[in-house]
Amino acid sequence: MPDNSTAATPLLQLRDVSRLLAGRRVVANLNLALDRGSVLGLLGVNGAGKSTTLRLIVGLLTPDSGEIRIGGADPRETPGAVRRLGYLPEQPPLYPELRVGEYLDFCARLRGLRGAKVAPAVGGVIERCGLGDVRARLLGNLSKGFQQRAGIAQALVHAPDLIVLDEPASGLDPLQAVQIRALVRELGKEHAVILSTHLLPDVQACCERVAILHQGALRYDGPRQALGDDLEAIFLRIVSTEDAAVAA
Amino acid sequence: MSLVIARNELRRLFVQPLAWVLLTAVLVMLAYFFLLTLQGFLVLMPKIAGNPAAPGVTDLVALPLLRAIASVLLLIVPLLGMRAFAGDRQSASLPLLLSAGLSDSRIVLGKYLGLVAFLVLLIALALAMPLSLQVATSLDLGRLAAAALGLILFAAALAALALCASACTQQPAVAAGLALVLNILLWMLDAGARYEGVSSNFVNYLALPTHLEPFLHGIVATVDILYFVLLSAVALALATRRLAASRVRG
Repeated sequence: MPDNSTAATPLLQLRDVSRLLAGRRVVANLNLALDRGSVLGLLGVNGAGKSTTLRLIVGLLTPDSGEIRIGGADPRETPGAVRRLGYLPEQPPLYPELRVGEYLDFCARLRGLRGAKVAPAVGGVIERCGLGDVRARLLGNLSKGFQQRAGIAQALVHAPDLIVLDEPASGLDPLQAVQIRALVRELGKEHAVILSTHLLPDVQACCERVAILHQGALRYDGPRQALGDDLEAIFLRIVSTEDAAVAA
Repeated sequence: MSLVIARNELRRLFVQPLAWVLLTAVLVMLAYFFLLTLQGFLVLMPKIAGNPAAPGVTDLVALPLLRAIASVLLLIVPLLGMRAFAGDRQSASLPLLLSAGLSDSRIVLGKYLGLVAFLVLLIALALAMPLSLQVATSLDLGRLAAAALGLILFAAALAALALCASACTQQPAVAAGLALVLNILLWMLDAGARYEGVSSNFVNYLALPTHLEPFLHGIVATVDILYFVLLSAVALALATRRLAASRVRG
């Protein structure tokens, strides 16, 4: 018999979440909900509050007001709820002195995998992220593209329900960026994904839903298709309208 | 879960040159010191052989070595613990632990256990030197066991202070400096009082040597154990609060 209460609860819900940093309101009354099986592109210019929003979701920051729920649970009361998430920060959280395999083994155990479950999980994620050839190499000696892949692999190793990626293609060469986008699209088939980016091609390539953040507030939240083909023009219109309003 | 972090910390220590260099340098230095004191004992032995009240090999060889280990720990623990949090902040790897759905206290405890395990290994290797004399002479093993317990508690307290300093700073070098200052302060705290002949007061109680010396003399007192446990607990609680504050302050 299906669990109707669980089915009705969004995987992630932010209600009126606000956050000040250094006296500036970086996130303002943000409302956002995400269900299983959707890829959300969190789009905004630099300083729009995207990374802060992600840090709030994964528990690196606590909101000043509002509430965040993961599968209906408040992570402040149930820290284990965060294990349903996998998080790749803007800079991958790697230990340069460890080998790829060792690092992912640790990440798997850190997220609660034990015993016979660890090796298949690590092997699977290594294969999925294309890290097989560098498995025995030190993380500190890898190229930026492979470091980014290792960062994504640590976010996936425990098969989370929701994957939170902060600028995964930033700083990569065009080929690496295309490969990462393909990987994100692939992930979107099995997991819910939040992809934070200021690169419109990332959103166009990967996301069926777009949330545009500007000056900490949500300016648009809806299907990407509804924005039409010229995403850039619409994005610039939303952002520049807000800037003009602030200047006036 | 803390044990998973502890094991990883231990692995990270051993795959970096700093821990190996420190371990090698400390053991070579202690071995040289051990041989010097042993030679001194061999020179002195014929003169004290007939005196039943004269100090034995435990007093004249093992105890000076144990005191030397304590002095070395004061200097190296800040270096071993400096990267625990400050280094992870610098390399941007701290979010891995902070977003893993663990309580801050478990993260701190894991880092602490990893560092303490390394220090226990160092103390065990150093203690093997005086214990090797057991094949040729009779050591006071009860006293050595008490001293080993005291050194481990002492090292554990220094590790907690180092982690606290690391949690409070952004730069590993600053963390090492802060921990070193704390260590020296707690080591020297009662020097003035002792110079003035004052004892059993609050300042004496706070100083590290007041609680380490009884262990080295084979006395295991609850008050001394409690001191090291409390010092460790307070430092670890402060480190935990600092981590929690980072989620609030940003």
